Amino acid sequence: MAREVSGRGGYDAAVVGAGHNGLVAAASLARAGLRVLVLERRDRVGGCADTSELAPGVRGPTLAHSVERLSPRVVEELDLGRYGFAAVEPPVSVFAPHPDGSAVVLERDLQATVGRLRGRSRRDAEALPPFDRRVRALASFVRHLHAAVPPDLGRPGRQDLLTLLRLGRALRRLGPRAARELLRVLPMAVADLVEEAFEDDALRAVIALPGVLLTSMGPRSAGTAAVLLAAAADAGAGALGRVAVPLGGPGALARALEEAARSHGAEVRTGAEVVAVTTDGERATGVALATGEEVRAGAVLSAVDPRRTLLELVDPSVLGPTLRWRAEHIRATGSVAKVNLALRGLPRFPAAGEEGQRLLRGRILLAPDLRAVERAARACLQGRLPDRPVLEATVPTLSDPSLAPEGGHVLSVLVQYVPYRLREGEWDRQREALGDLALGLLEECAPGLSSLVTARQVLTPVDLERGYGLTGGHPLHAEPGLDQFFAWRPLLGQASYRLAVRGLYLCGAGAHPGGGVTGWPGRNAARVVLADLRRR
Amino acid sequence: MREPYDAVVVGAGHNGLVAAAYLARAGLRTLALERRPVVGGAAVTEEVFPGFRFSVASYVVSLLRPEIIRDLDLPRHGLHLLPLDGTFTPLHDDYLWRTNDHARTRRELRRWSRRDAEAYEEYGVLMLQMARLVKPLLSVVPPDPGRADPREWLPLLGFGRRFLALPERLRAAFVQLMTMSAADFLWQWFETDPLVATMAASGIIGTFQGVRSPGTAYVLLHHYMGEIDGAFRAWGLPRGGTGAVSEAIAAAAREAGAEVRTEAPVARVLLRGGRAAGVVLESGEEVPARAVLSSLDPRRTLLGLLEPGTLPPEFEAAVRRYRLRGSSGKVNLALDGLPEFSCRPNREGTEHLRGAISISPSVDYLEEAYADAREGRFSRRPYVDIVIPTLVDPSLAPPGKHVMSCFVQYAPYDLDPSLGGWDRQREAFGDAVVGAMAEFAPNLPDLVLHRQVLTPLDLEREFGLSEGNIFHGELALDQLFWARPVPGWARYRTPVPGLWLCGSGTHPGGGIMGAPGRNAALQVLRSLRRGGR
Repeated sequence: MAREVSGRGGYDAAVVGAGHNGLVAAASLARAGLRVLVLERRDRVGGCADTSELAPGVRGPTLAHSVERLSPRVVEELDLGRYGFAAVEPPVSVFAPHPDGSAVVLERDLQATVGRLRGRSRRDAEALPPFDRRVRALASFVRHLHAAVPPDLGRPGRQDLLTLLRLGRALRRLGPRAARELLRVLPMAVADLVEEAFEDDALRAVIALPGVLLTSMGPRSAGTAAVLLAAAADAGAGALGRVAVPLGGPGALARALEEAARSHGAEVRTGAEVVAVTTDGERATGVALATGEEVRAGAVLSAVDPRRTLLELVDPSVLGPTLRWRAEHIRATGSVAKVNLALRGLPRFPAAGEEGQRLLRGRILLAPDLRAVERAARACLQGRLPDRPVLEATVPTLSDPSLAPEGGHVLSVLVQYVPYRLREGEWDRQREALGDLALGLLEECAPGLSSLVTARQVLTPVDLERGYGLTGGHPLHAEPGLDQFFAWRPLLGQASYRLAVRGLYLCGAGAHPGGGVTGWPGRNAARVVLADLRRR
Repeated sequence: MREPYDAVVVGAGHNGLVAAAYLARAGLRTLALERRPVVGGAAVTEEVFPGFRFSVASYVVSLLRPEIIRDLDLPRHGLHLLPLDGTFTPLHDDYLWRTNDHARTRRELRRWSRRDAEAYEEYGVLMLQMARLVKPLLSVVPPDPGRADPREWLPLLGFGRRFLALPERLRAAFVQLMTMSAADFLWQWFETDPLVATMAASGIIGTFQGVRSPGTAYVLLHHYMGEIDGAFRAWGLPRGGTGAVSEAIAAAAREAGAEVRTEAPVARVLLRGGRAAGVVLESGEEVPARAVLSSLDPRRTLLGLLEPGTLPPEFEAAVRRYRLRGSSGKVNLALDGLPEFSCRPNREGTEHLRGAISISPSVDYLEEAYADAREGRFSRRPYVDIVIPTLVDPSLAPPGKHVMSCFVQYAPYDLDPSLGGWDRQREAFGDAVVGAMAEFAPNLPDLVLHRQVLTPLDLEREFGLSEGNIFHGELALDQLFWARPVPGWARYRTPVPGLWLCGSGTHPGGGIMGAPGRNAALQVLRSLRRGGR
């Protein structure tokens, strides 16, 4: 077969996948002066940070819909504002309506939230500020963790020891009390954590939800408290959380990242599917495309999930049987589906009363109590679609009216605890049933919603896998359990962004610290690549 | 006033007795006080029905630390462990039977899956290596993570070295064992559903978690650390029931000079100048002592034996949030004969009944059982771990009769209020347990001569286990090692000078292990030698 080798001397770095992490890595490397090429299988950049046209003139977030976890350091370093990235932050974080007309509301403002909670439980209202302070204190340490390159626990080098020392110092700065608390809380189930603090079941579910969002775990799973702290560390908004709606949809963030990368000289090619990482047996030499074309590069960064990277892109003989076996067992079974609705008007939630417009600008959360959330999670584990999955929705058009024509709205609904593998039946036949289920649950809290729908898009976990290359349909590339955490994410010995063979790096959400649209893995991986290049 | 004891131990369960024995051996004037008329706590043998003697609560031994057996010379004091070979999992038209005979187990597993048969050996070796890595930690006094005192951390250095010396694959496996769910961990090796279910079931014993809940793989390891005569993962039945273990330890303690008083319930800890100065019995009698060790669970000790306001508020709050959440029950049956499982009639021999019999046909079965518990019900089709000790120790029942010990999960301490409480559900629970077994052994109900049903509430009332938790507190990651029972207070001390914890609510936790009692006693001795608190 004819093999064309492109690029005269090859590239310094080839990035596989132009999701937001791939682009962050590419932009960071290009900014440091490297010749960088980004290769994207799809016809556009962004990966899960994508905007769909739901109906003529109506655009909405395809998958991710809030980017509050995007690292401010990434935004600043890459000067994303200059390339058109902007996000709107509504004053309301969460509106959690119940069919009986009641609701839990979390405002961005702590005192305002306390005021609202007094009506439900005076005790909880009083417990919120100290709980929020605790979350902030613990999250401040987790932020150090996110910015760190996980040490190699097997052969710790100088850099690894420095990292451990730095983390040790950060822990000491917390003080003994918080240090003990951190070590206790990290492996906890988020349900236990919130039950210690609050008595109102509805509030407990709302506060706990960031600990399970986008995961396949229920709130009674050990380690979900760590996920909550990670979310709080990224969003920087304590226990209340916040929403950041990207103007122009999440695709606009991807375009800003692409522009930033290009402005530093990176090339970005779409419609270019990488099928293999080429090696000379000892180190990665570049990538091979589906067309047969080969691209030589000094470093290869994969923003693709770790299972796909290790099992499909790397030659099995290079990987070896043990690592291959371990890669096969990276847990990456997703539980997230999306239902995106184009609406001809704003839905009315009786629980929002007169404040409708304002409350709907944050996250709309349908998660009645911890027991119900756990029940849904367990059904999903067994391959059954729960009767009442958890819904997390936003109405981006309230923050960015340009997304729809006058009067029109978009309701972006994340449906969680939807099994990737159905015990009975297959997704291609049940896609619309899932849409109906989600709509039915929303209808209970917003009567008349269905009649407003002009178009709908339903994406099952299998669609996520097919469309976005997410193995197992997991939006976080690998389950964020304690077994796939920090120095062992995705695998122990493979967690310092260096993967399997010299010159190959993992820069996507499957690497530390993972977690949705954060940019951390891309940024940290780029730092490791630069350090390795300097050393050579 | 009487001459004060050097040490008084509250509760003469196996841990309390171990602590008393070690203290007495070191020359301390030691007294152990027990509320019940017999020693042993939950490790006790009682003649519940005339002629039938039962290991009423705890029913097998494997975790008892070999150094304790050695130090206290327990065999000389009457401890004799009979091997309990194998695990039999009945199914509707087949069964899965593993024994210590490797070749036979391999053949048996091959019937199910050639791959699993291969993996079984590999897995066994791995778990042995993991247990070896972790076992030295059982006798380590956990450091306070809030303090960088090198003396506290030094004992961990050896562990760190051994961990780093392992190949990457094993380091990874260790991390997985500490963090994963039992089922996820096992699925990496095995595909046979009843095999994964039965093995994973030991990860849920005593916890309010399912086999697919992260953190349960650790409990799997906890149970793997068992050792009899140097052989890992061998379960044993003490001749005369588990009470014989307690009797042997009590004999060793007495021989070393300790006094053991039964029917002497302790009402509270006696405080003098902020220090523990002894205990007050419910009779009003004061027993002065220089050190007080409580083998009761942390809640009962720290909230039950101290006057309100004694503890610093922050510590007290931490004790209050310590999770006990009992999830297990026990059903003891006196039988007229041996049960017969349809999948393997007894005319082919009864060897399969001599080990553990596990009602754990599939992972789904266990998950459904857990689902009931989460909704505040006992499992309608529970997981049952059955032992028929009379097959290896006929002295426990009249000739031809048998006793059958059934450990059951799940039985949540907190039932949904609509059920009206455990006192109204006890017999329904017993019926569910017998029913679950009768599904596979239809002759069982007719064999039952007597039945004792112990709900978590009964375990609390009878044995003082708060919320019926058999391990004195959940073996969850946030309640282990330096966080057991309270972060920063895992060194057996309490904020009350002179008051120590020595029960399963301290590191390394539950099971008939004795390690908490021994570790605590050694800490007390060190402290007294220094003349300190």
